[in-house]
Amino acid sequence: MKLYENEVKKIFDTMKIPIPKQYGVIHSAEELDHVPVNFPLMLKSMVLVGGRGKAGGIKKAQSMAEAKSLVKTLFNLKIKGLPVESILLEEAVDDLGACYIGTTMDPATFNNVVMVSASGGVDIEQVAREKPESIVKREIVDNAKTLPKKIAQELASALCNDLEKKIDTKKRNELQDSLADIISKVYETYQRCDARLCEVNPLLLTSKGVIAADAKLILDDNALFRQNDLLQMLGISEKRHDVAERTKNELRAQAAGFPYIDLLPENFIKDPQKLYVGLVPGGAGYGIFSIDEVATIGKRFFNDHIIPVNFMDSGGGPTQNRVTEMFHLLMDYPVVDLIITSRFGGISSCDIFIRGLIKAVVERHEKGLRMIPIYGRMVGTDLPSARTFLEKEKHEHADALKDVHIIIGNQRIMADVIREGIQKTCESKGWKP
Amino acid sequence: MKLVPPDQGMLYYIIENKRPDLAKKIRDTGIIETAVVGLGGQGTRHAELMQQYGTTITAGIAPGRGGTRLLETIPVYDTIKECLKEHPSIAVASIWRHYSTAKDATIEVIEADIPVVVLISEGIPLKDIRDILVAARKHKTVLIGGNTPGVIFPPEGIKAGMLPDVFYPEEVSPEAFGPKGVTIISRSGAILYHLSDALASVGIAQNAVIGVGGDGAIGSTFRDLVPLAMAYKNTDLVVVAGEIGGCQEELLAEDIKKNPKNYPKPLIALISGAHAPEGKTMGHAGAIVSPGQVYGTFQSKKHALESAGVPVMNSQYDLIAEVQKRLQKKTYFDVENYYKKMKTIWDAPSKKPGWGTLITKVMPNNLLISGYPLQDIVERKGFLETAYLLVKGEFPDKKTVEEMRKIAVEAAKKPVPKVTHLKNEDISKTLVKYFVLDEELAQYPEGGTDGAVKKTIFCLGRTARYLSAILGTEKALGHLHGNEPFSHIIYRAVTGNSTVNEQHSRMIEAMIVACVDHGVTPPSAQATLIAASTRAPYEVAVAQGVGAITDVHGGAGAKAAQLFTECIMKSKKENIDVAQATREIMRKYIEEGKRIEGLGHRLHTKDPRRDVLWNFSSQTGIAGKHVQLSKMVSMIFEQVRGMSLPINVDGVIGAIVADMGLNPAMAKAFFIYGRIAGLSGHYFEEVASQPRMRQINFTEAVYKGKGPRSIV
Repeated sequence: MKLYENEVKKIFDTMKIPIPKQYGVIHSAEELDHVPVNFPLMLKSMVLVGGRGKAGGIKKAQSMAEAKSLVKTLFNLKIKGLPVESILLEEAVDDLGACYIGTTMDPATFNNVVMVSASGGVDIEQVAREKPESIVKREIVDNAKTLPKKIAQELASALCNDLEKKIDTKKRNELQDSLADIISKVYETYQRCDARLCEVNPLLLTSKGVIAADAKLILDDNALFRQNDLLQMLGISEKRHDVAERTKNELRAQAAGFPYIDLLPENFIKDPQKLYVGLVPGGAGYGIFSIDEVATIGKRFFNDHIIPVNFMDSGGGPTQNRVTEMFHLLMDYPVVDLIITSRFGGISSCDIFIRGLIKAVVERHEKGLRMIPIYGRMVGTDLPSARTFLEKEKHEHADALKDVHIIIGNQRIMADVIREGIQKTCESKGWKP
Repeated sequence: MKLVPPDQGMLYYIIENKRPDLAKKIRDTGIIETAVVGLGGQGTRHAELMQQYGTTITAGIAPGRGGTRLLETIPVYDTIKECLKEHPSIAVASIWRHYSTAKDATIEVIEADIPVVVLISEGIPLKDIRDILVAARKHKTVLIGGNTPGVIFPPEGIKAGMLPDVFYPEEVSPEAFGPKGVTIISRSGAILYHLSDALASVGIAQNAVIGVGGDGAIGSTFRDLVPLAMAYKNTDLVVVAGEIGGCQEELLAEDIKKNPKNYPKPLIALISGAHAPEGKTMGHAGAIVSPGQVYGTFQSKKHALESAGVPVMNSQYDLIAEVQKRLQKKTYFDVENYYKKMKTIWDAPSKKPGWGTLITKVMPNNLLISGYPLQDIVERKGFLETAYLLVKGEFPDKKTVEEMRKIAVEAAKKPVPKVTHLKNEDISKTLVKYFVLDEELAQYPEGGTDGAVKKTIFCLGRTARYLSAILGTEKALGHLHGNEPFSHIIYRAVTGNSTVNEQHSRMIEAMIVACVDHGVTPPSAQATLIAASTRAPYEVAVAQGVGAITDVHGGAGAKAAQLFTECIMKSKKENIDVAQATREIMRKYIEEGKRIEGLGHRLHTKDPRRDVLWNFSSQTGIAGKHVQLSKMVSMIFEQVRGMSLPINVDGVIGAIVADMGLNPAMAKAFFIYGRIAGLSGHYFEEVASQPRMRQINFTEAVYKGKGPRSIV
């Protein structure tokens, strides 16, 4: 979970990492009148994406008149598609030099890595690509809670060496100590907050000392359960999603508690020449793979007329009601022509899956709601009871379930099931792919 | 179907590399022992599925649950350390703990030097995972996961995890499997199944199927596992299934280029996520594609692997074709046959519900307690030893017998609460009053592994005292000397004699032992089990069972004693032969609509306890007219009623009690007394091996204990 800059700075403040004076966060241009500020003033758009400065989301105002006009502009701005809904007002500090400090986990070794660079204030990924030698890294192999003093000093010293031209050599020792201190604190914040990333960019050298002018912190979602104090301090009551704008379907899935992503834009207009396939796979991995499968089969056998519409993760052991909601969601989605589903019961039960599916279909039939064909297969845990239930229901609700085609067992691989489902649905539409 | 011996499979190969000492044990025993750590819903459920698949689960680990049993038969320990003291050969542990406690549990297992650890738990914080990885590196553990569906070794029939049992080994003959095949290593569980499925559909076997786990940091990555699988001689080809996010695939490609000698066999990759939109999180923590990253995208992975010479697929069809090409169309088994076998698995009827008891196997004319025939126990073992057997499953050694005797004697010495035995009150009801009111019993500790048996023995000592209080014989318990056998105490309590008649004392003990248990179905056992399922205190649950012993259940002995006494008296008084007197009394009973007790049993036509008690009564010189009558009564009944009903144990005990000149009510008292030992066994078994407040279907119980054996 990403935190907003002002939230990270609150945390930094408790960790005694120096930050510019915070005046407040406003949500409308009018609010500016009620916040006591000094000039020059920094106006920072609060959006959870990088590159705000380049996109014009960060401004400096010298006067109230200028601030007012800038605030209006900012509230009308969209940064990488995200509207600016709030603006942080903070003290503008002088800039005698900028550096970068970051801590994250190396995805290759799974060790913590502390990175510093004297090339601060710019896109650090670009620096990494273009001038990798300007980033100094140290790997912490034992997941220590605090950074060993020696490493902090080494990193600070490396920074000082690179900053040499910009700093007063007489004050070098003092600067190195304060840099080492901040590097240690950034690492400690990362560990203490269960962060995936903790970054200061830029760390500004000012006449009053070093100050973290911008701050980034991504929390580990898996650890939120034990970061209650932190979340409470920040006033965050529920998990925030990193993905910018959620579609209607995504919000509905989120409310029902399962991951779902639309692959088509909201209010998408269907191409009547094409067949749109909704997916209820088992597990996130197959959720991703089944999108590829449908697309590949569409290309290979159906003249590229087949469009997968969603990613879904029915995950380990969904409840029956959640399964029902998965099918309702796709059947309510007017774009979808056909649902492909697969249940490979490992941790999850075929029995719960089929009960959830049938409940959705029977409910819709009774209420006269939109029905679309369902093709799929189920294999694995609890299959015998699932089969018994399916057979019984097919008998009792023959009409409602006439377009539910679930194969029991693995006599056919999923690719064949997908191909057949598409083929049959095309035929029922009178198409000859 | 014959499986591949464990010491030829890949799991053994992995263990051998890490712990040659364990490998030797596996070669000696032919078994790879595993432990299940974390016994919540998932752990328990999958323990059963793993066991059904063929995995040997030696122990369960759950803090606070030490001394209980998993799946009714597998011992559970509080910590892995305690477990390894008893079972030092455990080579594999699967961990099912909740994400909030998984770290400590996993590190404990790693530090105990278990060579293969499969971390199933999902949602573990990254910081905790890093601590786990630090420990695993230090101990050179092969750590799979976290957030893994587990590993499965089809040729050996071993699984650690929650993978469904769909993977198919090589078939070397219609009756036997071989160890050869393709190894599949995947980041996603469901993709594993679909790849396995695809390969099996063209007759390609799998010798190991490994889910590495979907988290951002995991124990073993592709780079660790692919060379390991390739070094194992029976692997013909390796398939890795990667997906967008993370950099495992890129690192694998880098390693292939750097160390080509570690990759001597064909390798094929399947990468998912070609059509995934950038910047959206798709389930797995690892599958985040952040724009601008140089790794983690479909293209970066495909490019890296292809440049290392690994063909990259993106569909089931292409994967099948590529694997077939690399294996030159080789097949490992007949596909028709495979589907037929799979179909029998899918079409198998739902498993009959059932639950297990290890205490008594009840068969017609045969009762086995922990495998020992009850009649042999009656003949050769005392009451306390039998009670010990009922609770612990084994007889105590000599030293323990003495320890138990002391506990019982101490218990019998202490005064009991004041309870009135009302006139005509059923003795079972009076005993219930004692159980409920006795604070000595309530406060006697029952914790620890030996606590259950000690509490039972203490209770039996107390019961002797209750009986003496009911019978007004407490004086006879006044001067117990230090070495008093417990059977003497029972004798004193029952008869009120301070001087012990050794023969009578032995006879009484034998009758009590004959009544100790009859499985889980008698109403008294049911009552105790239901109370135990609610975790009622021991003495309350036993009281429930004792309270259920009434005239209808367990009271026949007293009635039989009265009947036999009446018959003998009539024959004396009227000077007619006993058979004649008995016939007349039976006719009278029938006219009055009274039951004739002591005859007939719902299961036994020749009660296994009958002959041993008859013999005992002859050997001790106790057998007299009543016992003699008891041997004829079945025949006499047939003459009166025209149908044959065998004498049951109550009838035999009734006759012996009558011959000993005891109060007929003692026949019932002996039954209750003996049964308290059995009820204790059932109580502690229920508490140790079953979930709380379960619905108990008594007819579904299955004996899962020791097979028949003889007392040595």
